[in-house]
Amino acid sequence: MMFGRLTVALSAAALLTLTACGGDPLEEEPSPDSDAGASSENDPTSDGTETSDGTEEKGALTISGQSFTEAVVMAEMYEQVLDGAGYDVTTKLVETRDVYVQQMSDGKVDVVPDYLAGMADYLNTLENGEDAEPITSNDAAASLEALKPLADAAGITMLEPSGATSQNAFFVTQDFAEENSVSTLSDLAEVGPVKLAAAPDCVGRDDCEKGLKEVYGIDITEVVPLGYGSAQTKDAVISGEVEVGQTGTTDGTLEAQELVLLEDDQGIQPAQNLVPAVNTEFLSDNPDVEEVLNELSATLTTEDLGQLNAQVDVERMEASEVAQTYLEDKGLI
Amino acid sequence: MTLLPGSAPRAAETPQCYIDNSWWCPPYWSDRQELLTDALVQHIWITIASVALGLVLAFPLALLARRFDRLETLVVGGTTIIYTIPSLALFSLLLPATGLSANTVIIGLALYSLTILVRSLLVGLRGVSDDVRESAVGNGYGMSRLLFTIELPLALPVIMAGLRVATVSTVALVTVGSIVSYGGLGNLLLQAVGNQFKAQILAASVLCVLLAIVLDLLLVVVQRMVTPWTRTGASV
Repeated sequence: MMFGRLTVALSAAALLTLTACGGDPLEEEPSPDSDAGASSENDPTSDGTETSDGTEEKGALTISGQSFTEAVVMAEMYEQVLDGAGYDVTTKLVETRDVYVQQMSDGKVDVVPDYLAGMADYLNTLENGEDAEPITSNDAAASLEALKPLADAAGITMLEPSGATSQNAFFVTQDFAEENSVSTLSDLAEVGPVKLAAAPDCVGRDDCEKGLKEVYGIDITEVVPLGYGSAQTKDAVISGEVEVGQTGTTDGTLEAQELVLLEDDQGIQPAQNLVPAVNTEFLSDNPDVEEVLNELSATLTTEDLGQLNAQVDVERMEASEVAQTYLEDKGLI
Repeated sequence: MTLLPGSAPRAAETPQCYIDNSWWCPPYWSDRQELLTDALVQHIWITIASVALGLVLAFPLALLARRFDRLETLVVGGTTIIYTIPSLALFSLLLPATGLSANTVIIGLALYSLTILVRSLLVGLRGVSDDVRESAVGNGYGMSRLLFTIELPLALPVIMAGLRVATVSTVALVTVGSIVSYGGLGNLLLQAVGNQFKAQILAASVLCVLLAIVLDLLLVVVQRMVTPWTRTGASV
């Protein structure tokens, strides 16, 4: 009697293990097309979710990336254009860059939407240690050239960087900008002493407090650590508690709050252009990926990306929906 | 091709609680029903697979520890040491072998569950009185028959108590799997904490707590079913 019950319990547990490991309900594998290749028509009006899987089979492709809003939106767009090109795409977003870079070198991740300087600094630190000389600058082309050999060594090919760039930036209220006629950070230096609300690590950084003081000669009397692009930072600027706040160039919420970015006219920010990173071996087997992703990169602008971010972060639309609407608007799917 | 006009299809009808970023936002639950369901389902099967694997590993370890005194320190100490490894480090160790897959999380969490499961198996088996054991041996029971028909059933209440703790703690730990994209509700939490989406933080947290409660209650029911003699007034 007891023996029977226990056997049932144990075998139920074992069965659960087996079935659980075997099936992955979230990966949404499309059912394999029984007559693969029979129809090779590439329907350009496919909605990118159903029909394209059956029309032209190009095999599996894994996208990874980080899981903050902008990275999620980028991964969604990559997924939808590549799905439209006939790939069977799985997206696995992770928390940190080191996880997917290792996986990409191992050939387990094929495509990642990444940032030019972010990737370059990461690989540079990995290869040359924490104290390595920085290889990135405000110049996107030069940063890409510096990044290429490091990426090659890791088995990763960087495609064309987009014009869209997501780097640190500083903002003031529109009123402040008009009263003092400032539109660039150089203009701000003329205004006189200012207070800055920024990320806690701002002090001493070349792309933050140190750069603003030394390159632009801005007299910063106090750095208030209210966070990068946070609501507190914006509130502090709006209320006049501080004059300047720190956020990103793709912050799509500024205009609605009557805030305006100041141009980094002397280029203290490393170029954080969005750039597709692709496993080199995968790319040589699937060369058409390059064209598909480069077309998206060429279309995307910093302003577009800011608006897409705001749709997710403010209107709380789903990233997949936001990405799809944008890609359809631009005729990319 | 969708029939939606290209520009801002939903801006006009964005629920007010999204704009206000309220914690309680019923439209969120209906808008993201599919997202929540998928995450919950993933959370459930990763939890079950992890605890089941943990149980499968813990059983022989507990038997070894019971049989050989010297191994007991090693087994009990070893499983405790594993428990102290930060999940980030443990997943990173597993990643080269298992990749970005659910297996990374399942193996990691199964290893974490060992510290509770091995101890409860060990304590449960030790709790069987020598008189009972001797009577069984006297009745001609062999080692495995003794184990499966006498010792394990009598140890079940303690084992089940351990299993409940392991299950509830695993439900919480699955969220950490978002590091490698298999975190169930943790995937939603990670993104929502990043962009301060309170409705999503609340929904994922509530579902996580509910899941822990439901699984715990289920195990209580299972325990009552497999140990009917512990119920007062029940006759076997």
